[in-house]
Amino acid sequence: MRWRWWRAPAVTVLGVVALWEAAVDGLHLPEYLLPAPSGVLAALAAEWRYLAIHTGVTVYEILWGFVLSILVGVPLAMVVVYSPVLERAFYPLLVASQSVPKIAIAPLLIFWAGLGIFPKVLVAFLIAFFPIVIDTVVGLRSVEPELLHLARSMGAPERRVFLKIRLPNAFPNIFAGLKVAVTLAVVGAIVGEFIQADRGLGYALLQANAMLNTRLSFATILILAAIGVLLFGFVDVLERALIPWHASRRTEMAAGTL
Amino acid sequence: MPAGGKLVKVSDVSKVYAASDGDVPALDRVSFDVRAGEFLAIVGPSGCGKSTLAMLIAGLYPVTSGAISVDGAAVDRPQTNLGIVFQNPVLLAWRRALDNILLQVEMRGLDPRDYRERALQLLASVGLEGFEHRYPHELSGGMRQRVSLCRALIHDPPLLLMDEPFGALDALTRDQMTLDIQRAWGRGQKTVLFITHSITEAVFLSDRIIVMTPRPGRIDTVLEVDLPRPRRLAVREDPRFAGLARAIRDRFMAHGVLHDLEQGAG
Repeated sequence: MRWRWWRAPAVTVLGVVALWEAAVDGLHLPEYLLPAPSGVLAALAAEWRYLAIHTGVTVYEILWGFVLSILVGVPLAMVVVYSPVLERAFYPLLVASQSVPKIAIAPLLIFWAGLGIFPKVLVAFLIAFFPIVIDTVVGLRSVEPELLHLARSMGAPERRVFLKIRLPNAFPNIFAGLKVAVTLAVVGAIVGEFIQADRGLGYALLQANAMLNTRLSFATILILAAIGVLLFGFVDVLERALIPWHASRRTEMAAGTL
Repeated sequence: MPAGGKLVKVSDVSKVYAASDGDVPALDRVSFDVRAGEFLAIVGPSGCGKSTLAMLIAGLYPVTSGAISVDGAAVDRPQTNLGIVFQNPVLLAWRRALDNILLQVEMRGLDPRDYRERALQLLASVGLEGFEHRYPHELSGGMRQRVSLCRALIHDPPLLLMDEPFGALDALTRDQMTLDIQRAWGRGQKTVLFITHSITEAVFLSDRIIVMTPRPGRIDTVLEVDLPRPRRLAVREDPRFAGLARAIRDRFMAHGVLHDLEQGAG
């Protein structure tokens, strides 16, 4: 019965869209306030070439920000787990830094990092890497004590304990962090583009808003939502492929509770 | 090491744990030997320090005072020439049964391919033939604990430490595991230190039983079990078996660990 999972959300979406269309129609709302879904789709079809170019730019920024957050986040988590001194030196600052709204410092970043793609990548990275660090630290630490006792009775050097026990043990947590991170990377890239940009979906959105072209605004938001969902789905598929033991255990448990 | 020689010597060992509300004594001047090739059970109530004793012998915790030696060498670091089975199977969820067993040799830097055949034989010897490609979540609790036992035996260690290995299993599975352990022990001529709170298990499996007092753990009594081997489950109805079980139970009552009904009550 696996094919059924998409039914409920599909019915919800279709219902909302139908209500929306009917409301715009029945209440005679002006287009600049709220365009009908049919109007949004029409804008999407008419402007697809323009939107595709900006989508490409934004996806590029998101992916770089996301990849950077993995490349920095996972090793940073290892440092935190393996060095009590560095943990005490950095971890509280890391947590404190997360209470600073990224949107507040984004203008400064743009100011320092200049124009072009890089500052947007930076903002995406700064927002996305935190959950990766936190979740990876939890995963690396949550090894059963008995397992570590066993590893010591096997005379294993720490490098081998890390590769064969700690790291695979952390995979489910790392993927949980990646899922949050990938959606935050989308937010980061758009925030960066809002501050200063001459391309990208954030820029396209500002332009459409400035011209009161709400159809195009909604079309852009639709694309952003699709990017978020697709990237999340991609990480989910990757998780199932790389750690099938975890996915199957999850389904087993889900089946047990139903 | 000739049979009957001393493989493990525990001399005047005490262990104190530091806790937030002061020191907690777990073991108080415990001395005993484990003879090579014998099956020695340590039985005692919860919190008597018997699990601590296993950890101390394995070199995983330091002693507070006293000394332990294994095969003539002082235990001052984690021992590697032994196998350990805990109450929980602690298998790696991402490894199939066979690869969980081979973790033992991989962690030692040995080539797992050389141990594959032996791992399959071990699996078959505990009734898990054909289950080598199952993941832990596809095995029952008893099966997982059997895989854990195979992992403790794959490198053919002279000493096997088992810390309440049946604690999490149901009664029927425990009976079967008891028989399997006896068979595995009888074949390999291993020295086994078996920690348990089950009087029946201790009497059924052991050559000797050390009875511990409640916290802080001291040695109360040492009993020899001279029932013939191999033992069948029916040995539990043997009067000598019942006598030994009663002797242990009486010690627990003397320490207030067990309280029977008053004579004539009920």
